[in-house]
Amino acid sequence: MKKNTDKINHLIDISFKSAAIKNPLKMDDTIATNYRAYVILDPNKDFILNDETGKILENSCPTHAITYQNDDDPKIHLDNGKCILCGNCQVKSPELIKITNKFDLAKKRRDDLIETFSMSVPFEKTYEELGKELKNKIDKIFGRSLAIREIDAGSCNGCEIEINALNNPVYDIERYGITFVASPRHADVLLVTGPASKNMERALKIAYDSTPNPKIVIAVGACACSGGIFGNNYATTGGIDNIVPVNVYIPGCPPRPQALLYGILVAINKI
Amino acid sequence: MSHKEIIKKYYSKLEKFDSDIKKLENNNELHLSLNDPNKLHELCKFLKKDLDLRLMTIICCDEQKLNHGFKIRHVFGSDVDDFFLFVILSIDESHPYFPSIYDVFPSSILYEREIKDMFGLMAQENPNIKPLILHDFPNDVFPLRKDFKLNDDVKRNLKQFEFTPIIGEGVCEIPVGPIHAGIIEPGHFRFSVLGETIINLETRLGYAHKGIEKLAESMPINDVVFLSERISGDESVANSIAFCQAVEKIAQLTIPQKAEQLRLLFAELERIYNHFGTLGGILTDVGFPYGASRLNILKEQIMQLNERLSGSRILFGVNQIGGVKTNVTDEMLIDIHFVLDDTFQIFEKILDLLKSNSSVMDRLRNTGIIEKQMARDLGLVGISSRCIGIETDTRQTHPYGYYPSINLKQKTPRETMEHQVELQKRIGDVLSRFMSRVDDLRQSKDIIGSITALKSDGLSKSIDDELTPYSSALGYAESHRGETLHWIMIGEHNSIFRYKIRTASFSNWPIIEYAVLDNIVADFPVINKSFDFSYSGNDL
Repeated sequence: MKKNTDKINHLIDISFKSAAIKNPLKMDDTIATNYRAYVILDPNKDFILNDETGKILENSCPTHAITYQNDDDPKIHLDNGKCILCGNCQVKSPELIKITNKFDLAKKRRDDLIETFSMSVPFEKTYEELGKELKNKIDKIFGRSLAIREIDAGSCNGCEIEINALNNPVYDIERYGITFVASPRHADVLLVTGPASKNMERALKIAYDSTPNPKIVIAVGACACSGGIFGNNYATTGGIDNIVPVNVYIPGCPPRPQALLYGILVAINKI
Repeated sequence: MSHKEIIKKYYSKLEKFDSDIKKLENNNELHLSLNDPNKLHELCKFLKKDLDLRLMTIICCDEQKLNHGFKIRHVFGSDVDDFFLFVILSIDESHPYFPSIYDVFPSSILYEREIKDMFGLMAQENPNIKPLILHDFPNDVFPLRKDFKLNDDVKRNLKQFEFTPIIGEGVCEIPVGPIHAGIIEPGHFRFSVLGETIINLETRLGYAHKGIEKLAESMPINDVVFLSERISGDESVANSIAFCQAVEKIAQLTIPQKAEQLRLLFAELERIYNHFGTLGGILTDVGFPYGASRLNILKEQIMQLNERLSGSRILFGVNQIGGVKTNVTDEMLIDIHFVLDDTFQIFEKILDLLKSNSSVMDRLRNTGIIEKQMARDLGLVGISSRCIGIETDTRQTHPYGYYPSINLKQKTPRETMEHQVELQKRIGDVLSRFMSRVDDLRQSKDIIGSITALKSDGLSKSIDDELTPYSSALGYAESHRGETLHWIMIGEHNSIFRYKIRTASFSNWPIIEYAVLDNIVADFPVINKSFDFSYSGNDL
């Protein structure tokens, strides 16, 4: 018997020494610099957007997240809600596309996930964006404790891996007072993944209706934001917001645990 | 033996059965066209009894555009030789029936139901005609036919799915799902219980059906790699390898040795992080969170390693047709070895702890037992079959990529003996599956450990010529769940004409209905987790 206790003591000794991240929202070197999380449009000085470069960019994207528009003023729109982070566009046009490893990506409106680059207007925050940010901070509804129900509406289970990782000892989301509950009736927040397959449509609606008011719905991953690579076809609905109203969109394929936490925090205005 | 010799061996045997069958060779595939569909049944009996082949999948393809009607390919494989047999039937739309072979290969029931859902061809005499993948679909719409367009709006008729009623005094029904209490994928389980004991289970899947096979037909071939990664997020490497290898087989492209090595590295890393996660999940389900937490830390360490290597925590975007995208330098290789040495040192200690913990062992032992004959009949692959002593491993029977070049350290006679004794204890319960996964993990570590130097012949080759229209090939890989098959037929201008995916989950799911019988409801989660099937990989 003594032998066993020795073993256990030894295991505890080496176990949790450095596993937990002290503050997951602080960017530190636990995220690799080449980790693909969010695409931004950051042109080099000599980059010129014209029909040729625009078309190359548009065609490089398997999910049609990049659109090129040319009415007098050439513009590139990049929809991070559709992006599956394949990195194709960066290969095709490294002068304009940069892929960052940041995770504070969650947005309250679907449109906020769209980045735009144009040759004429300098690229900075607009008045409207600041206004939205202000509005986000105003609507405080929930208090300190938050119960989350995760619903898989046909995802590939990539997002589930990351949501499960939130509960592991390294990220340990419960220390922030956030718990995953077993029933939508106990939940404040629905965390929905997947392109909303048609076969899950009814179940998702029922779960939404069973959640007590006030409730928040968070769409997790490119599929939930827009349908992702699956888009809108005979078997999918092309995004959660086609079935239930969505409050926060977290892009990524899949979003890393920090990005999920940031999204949840955006949802309850802890930030 | 080379592929040619193996095919010759099998063909000479087949000639004895029937001398006038047309044949076609394609690497390790032998294609036989069967003029008379009624001969299929007899042929299957012959294949099972005399050639010891196993049904791997049934592929249907709408070739009406080419005036071939519907082609149904029954794919058989050997567990001894690197050999696949395709038996091809032609079916005309005017008479949409084909013979069922469920009494020879019971696993065919699933494939035949799938074909009925997606193509509207009926397998005569198949006892189960319930829809499999599509829910509430009209009877005359078949998504994988060529006249159906990807974005067609289908009006669903909402009606209750009829579960087989289990009637008797004291029998209760427990419906579970599609949304589960844990963070897992969607699926419905209908238990019939007598007291605590499960006397019947009927599963209904298909909730995660996203139309992947149809979608692939409308995408450029290079983008389908991304789609194949998202068949099941945790099998991304295995599925994309199977897809890329099928295309490379069609193009007759040999990819650089370094690319083969990197594919192997990523595939084994994927296996390791998933097995850690599954073992942790089993411990969570038996109420031993300490062990689960420890294993989840190990899983996280491997996922962080993945991130450093490839820029994605679950290894998305690693493969491309003709090679790999992600480079691994020699320093990174040292990092891999270092992390694995570290994690496996801790893993062995956790394992010692678990083996000495009687409350864990009691829950695992004799829970969810499957029988060997059942496993054979249903054509189980991967861990589910290895836990009862049926050795199916695509890496060994159909060696692909860099696996044939791997030299593992020879076991000493004593170690072999000990291993044999250990295998005798595998009775198909949760503990057997637990230990099979442990074996798999150790093997993966040895495989990665044997790669000490990377070759330097480039990351990928490109395919310059247009692929021959309507040529096809079977790609295969061993995911952490088992054998994964991807069959591709190329269309005009490098498009995909038909993409058939059969993941290990699809052939393994039916066993759950038998494994839980005579167990208590509270043991269902741990039995389910010990198999660790993918819902998305099944529903596509």
